[in-house]
Amino acid sequence: MTRGHAKQMPHRPWRMLRIDHIAMIVVIAYLAGALGVWLGLWAINWAEITGAMWAAPSAEHWLGTNRLGQDIFSRAVAATATAFEIGVLVAVASILIGGLAGAVAGHFSGSPLDELILWLKGTIDAIPFYLLVIAIAFALKGHTMAMHLAMIVAFWTTTARVVRAETIRIGQAGFIEAAHAGGSTPTRIIFRHLLPNLVHVLLIQATLVFVAAIKAEVVLSFLGIGVQDSISWGLMLAEAGQDIMAGQYMNFLAASLFLFGLVLAVSLLADRLQDRLDPRTRHLRSVGIE
Amino acid sequence: MTPGIELLRFITRKLAASLPLIFGVTLISFTLTVHLGPDPAYAMLGKNPTAADLAAMQRELGQDQPFWQRYASYLRRLATLDLGHTESSGEKVRDLLARTLPVSFLLLAPGFVLGTVLALLLAMFAAWHRSGRLDRLITGMSVIGMSLSFVIIIIALQAIFGVWLGWFPVRGWEVHGPASYLNHVTIPTLAFVLASIGYNTRFFRAMLVNAMTADHVRTARAYGASPIHIMCRHVLRGCLLPIITRIVYSVPALAISGSLLMESHFSIPGIGRVTYQAILSGDQPVLMAVVGLSAVVFAVAVTVADLLCRLADPRIRLA
Repeated sequence: MTRGHAKQMPHRPWRMLRIDHIAMIVVIAYLAGALGVWLGLWAINWAEITGAMWAAPSAEHWLGTNRLGQDIFSRAVAATATAFEIGVLVAVASILIGGLAGAVAGHFSGSPLDELILWLKGTIDAIPFYLLVIAIAFALKGHTMAMHLAMIVAFWTTTARVVRAETIRIGQAGFIEAAHAGGSTPTRIIFRHLLPNLVHVLLIQATLVFVAAIKAEVVLSFLGIGVQDSISWGLMLAEAGQDIMAGQYMNFLAASLFLFGLVLAVSLLADRLQDRLDPRTRHLRSVGIE
Repeated sequence: MTPGIELLRFITRKLAASLPLIFGVTLISFTLTVHLGPDPAYAMLGKNPTAADLAAMQRELGQDQPFWQRYASYLRRLATLDLGHTESSGEKVRDLLARTLPVSFLLLAPGFVLGTVLALLLAMFAAWHRSGRLDRLITGMSVIGMSLSFVIIIIALQAIFGVWLGWFPVRGWEVHGPASYLNHVTIPTLAFVLASIGYNTRFFRAMLVNAMTADHVRTARAYGASPIHIMCRHVLRGCLLPIITRIVYSVPALAISGSLLMESHFSIPGIGRVTYQAILSGDQPVLMAVVGLSAVVFAVAVTVADLLCRLADPRIRLA
């Protein structure tokens, strides 16, 4: 095969397909791990002291133990469930609020309602994310759900922007006008005609928010204003920051590999999802929050 | 009308359009950090105050005034930088900011500049070799970079350079001159570059690839102009606007997480550590100042950047 010919071969989709499948399997493995935690099958004793301080990896403690003698592998697996809880809750709430706000703003574009939603969106985007979270945690006096609420408040805006733009585009297609002329109420138009046509956008946004929420949780828990009364990769990394000064790396390796694997797999899936479902809006994608 | 007056009117109108934004960010910061925050009257009275004492103190502090009156006095305090005293040390918040802001700037600026410039160069390279082996390598690496948490990067660098190799200090900020500055700023710079380069490269590459499809770029390529000439003269100019907007928007996202994480973890006396300690101790005057001022500064910065972009664009109509 000549080099020129090889360049025209669609070997890129084939490569991506394989990466897709691996990413999918990885996400399913994480999900299975989380399910087991929810069903109480494994990692139930993550908070108990089951060994010596900083025990080396062994058959009993696969990844050794931490400073207190707690099993690091159990903690990392239990933290998987926490990550899914935060990611799914924040993603679902954000796309519901953002989707509805975006559809309403787009359907009534140019109206005072649209202006109000745009103003709210612009205002929230102009407050730096971590300061908004800090302010909300402060106002709620350290409530355990303060972090979740803050993320939802901050993350619905991206979805609203994308959905608003898409709604305006769909509105030009004519069938919205037809439904309107046929006497459909705005509520019916939004729920029956607009939102079903936006499912792919919402799905892509959900995966992006899921990743953003998990990454933000790690930063916030590391700072001590995130997860409370539970275990998360961010809390493990906060411990690990102290551990490495004593030359102990298992906590760091476990938490960062678990975190990195899930974030990378979901990011790759989000990419593929976007390529397949909506190649046109690639440029609109959220560029993420670090 | 002379062009000068027209330009002035355009700028005034643009700045006036940002007033609702400033209103919004100050309203939210006031509600969260002052209105819903702890009542300072309790803190000032000490243990077991009577209801009458409390009411008297609230009146004295203006706590019994209606919401909008308190919001107005909050705006006045922000505008005149009359920010009160910290609860922990009693230092003036204004002095505290003046002392810590330069440290944070020195800590973050090299990483921010380097991260942006390197990402732009990588993105140009990838866009030029689009779909080639190098492009795939660069885009693949940037997805991996995006998946690495800032926290992971900081701890890994601390382990490698601070604990294993012992090349650079990973605690404190004893800067007395250029040499000690370089010594202290290297790890934060490296961390900042690693944390930002993935996102930036990917975004810049997407913009550049898009701009490269323009007809005049194809013509320039056909005439055999050098890649550097085409990239800088034609492609970059075609997508300068989203790139500048993106850079401005990444300042608060990256600078604040970087400042919070690195200063609290490495004990660097910058604004991030002050904020971090204020979160843990619930120091209301500090949080009010940090949240309120940065929201206002950012809202203004976004407006000014937008204005500059539009003024730099020869296609702009001032009407």
